[in-house]
Amino acid sequence: MSDNPRAYLSPGLAARPAVGGLAGYFGALATVAAATGLCELARPYLSPVNMVMPYLLAVVLVAVRLGRRPAVVAALFSVVDFDFFFVPPRFSFTIADKEFLITFFALFVVGVVISTLVAQLQERAEALRLRELRTASLYNLTRELAAAVDRPALTAALVKNAEATLAARVAVFLPVEERLEVAASSRDLPLGTADFDVALWCFRSRRTAGRGTESFSSSRLVFIPLKALAATLGVLAIEVADAEREPEEMNRLLDSYATQVAQALERIRLSREAQQAQIHKARESLERALLNSVSHDLRTPLATITGVLTTVLEEGERLGEGARRELLETARGEADRLNRFVGNLLDMTRLESGGVALNLEPCDVQDLVGCALAAVEKQTAGRQVDVRVPVDLPLVPMDLVLMIQVLVNLLDNAFKHSPEGCPVAIAAERAGGSLVITVSDCGPGVPEADLGRIFDKFYRIPVPEGAGGTGLGLSICKGIVEAHGGEIRARNGAAGGLEVSVSLPVREA
Amino acid sequence: MTGEAGGSLPKILVVDDETAIQRFLKTALDNGEYAVHQAENGHAALAAAVSLRPDVVLLDLGLPDLDGVEVIRRIREWSQVPIIVISVREREDEKVRALDAGADDYLTKPFGIGELMARIKVALRRSLQQVPDPVLQIGALCVDLPRRRVTVDGVEVQLTPTEYDLLRLLASHAGKVLTHSQILKQIWGTAYVEQPHVLRVNISNLRRKVEPDPSRPRWIVTEPGVGYRLKDEE
Repeated sequence: MSDNPRAYLSPGLAARPAVGGLAGYFGALATVAAATGLCELARPYLSPVNMVMPYLLAVVLVAVRLGRRPAVVAALFSVVDFDFFFVPPRFSFTIADKEFLITFFALFVVGVVISTLVAQLQERAEALRLRELRTASLYNLTRELAAAVDRPALTAALVKNAEATLAARVAVFLPVEERLEVAASSRDLPLGTADFDVALWCFRSRRTAGRGTESFSSSRLVFIPLKALAATLGVLAIEVADAEREPEEMNRLLDSYATQVAQALERIRLSREAQQAQIHKARESLERALLNSVSHDLRTPLATITGVLTTVLEEGERLGEGARRELLETARGEADRLNRFVGNLLDMTRLESGGVALNLEPCDVQDLVGCALAAVEKQTAGRQVDVRVPVDLPLVPMDLVLMIQVLVNLLDNAFKHSPEGCPVAIAAERAGGSLVITVSDCGPGVPEADLGRIFDKFYRIPVPEGAGGTGLGLSICKGIVEAHGGEIRARNGAAGGLEVSVSLPVREA
Repeated sequence: MTGEAGGSLPKILVVDDETAIQRFLKTALDNGEYAVHQAENGHAALAAAVSLRPDVVLLDLGLPDLDGVEVIRRIREWSQVPIIVISVREREDEKVRALDAGADDYLTKPFGIGELMARIKVALRRSLQQVPDPVLQIGALCVDLPRRRVTVDGVEVQLTPTEYDLLRLLASHAGKVLTHSQILKQIWGTAYVEQPHVLRVNISNLRRKVEPDPSRPRWIVTEPGVGYRLKDEE
């Protein structure tokens, strides 16, 4: 099927010494001539009858090295040479002793039988070797397909394997919205519209088509449907170099090939479905948590505000000045809380949708800390904050507004989770190529097992009544810090209390 | 002042399409100190600005017909009336856009009435008193413009020429926020607008020299993502 069948046979698959054509016959003649020479040298010591032995040896050698037909020729010439050179009278085809006719006959028949046996043996060994190679290639395919995690990797592995072990050129067609598209193919395999038509037919009919089959047998390629239980997953088109040899065997091999690929495709499809189901489930539970949290966190302050306003409206006359003021103060506090929560929700949404473009500018760390402290001023009234920021820190590239938000959330947390009388500390230092800002409190800390989870959305540790947060603050911090290419970590301090440190890359200009 | 005619009271034009906000501001501001006028959209605001000649404009950026920034630009074409932006838009670039277009100040909703009153007072003082006080005293900080002297608690502070220029600029707009690009343009020139780190370094040095605790500045306040403001009272 090709001008030069060995051109794309891999070395492992190349047929053994099929020395073709005339060369084989010349070899046979040369071997017989050599046997004649040997006999001539041994003539003083050997009777003519024993000279049959070197000729038999020559026939066997030719059978082994050059194949069956040259061996038959060798047997024939052995008889001729033996007769001409050694059977008396020498140098004539006349035979003095008629008994030599039996010797001639025996020499020829034994030569032919031996060569046939040898050739058969070799063919069988060759077939076995071929089968073994194909089995190995199937095994390799299975292994490589198992390692593929997605469709591009799988089709690429298939193409590579088929080229290397089958000496074949292949293309994989996969359905994309009602049409078939080539997912991967050997680089030097030209595909025309006719090939697509055959592939589509094969895909729809779920039957093998192309060369050597009943449909589209004029095609160069064999098209094998990749069948899963119910659906056809695609079509494997393959052009095999040595399909002529053992076609049955090759068809079986290609079928197994297609089955392996179909199974691997099915496996990938199923695992992707499972993954999507899992993601879907996770998203659902997250949405449920979000809804719960939102409705709780929005309604609670609203309930207080509504309560206060209706009380003041309806009972205002009967309330004392002090009581009314206290009620209104409470309402204002709740309104602030509501505002913070809405801000957090918006930030979270923006971070998650990837809609935050960092406005990186070299910033003064003192300024950052100062702005954060100013923003939490209302909450810090009466609380002690230890600030340790060295004056020689370099300017650090950051989005000042977002980083202030990070520190505000951390400080907010620290105040919330530590008792009134004890100080909250904020410290900045340079550590290698990073700026590290640590906010620590003297509260009860977080159980070791939960340290990794406190940056998760909606994670809340039980806090005293009224200090409940949204469970969003720390995950917003994490989102912002990571967008800066930094890291945020939490640990329990040596003296108790939680220490959260943020490290940002410094990248000095 | 309650007995006086409304005409002599400072006039405030409130531009907002939210009825609830309008009602709240009208009630809170119409207390005898100011005469409150209302506009519900950009075009009405522009018309009122011409016919009414208000002393202060409170402007919401999210108007139904015109972008608030556009309203600022059109008013600035002919008037220097103080404009205070009140908006729910939290994004800093919006604030910067409004300030660079000529707004004097901004307040993010929700805000307390005390804060709004303070901003209105600053704005009114600036619009009524044409020539700024040459000697500015904010708590312990004193900036004496004619003598180019800066003292804290009576002790003179040595500033580099750039630091002094920076403080002078902030002081002559005391109480008002100046955006990064406004400051950079005034002090270093247009070429430096894209180099905010020059400004940050100088602000940081200036704070170290005049602020008692530079990490909790009392006078030179950062408006994150927007600019700086020198507080005009403690």
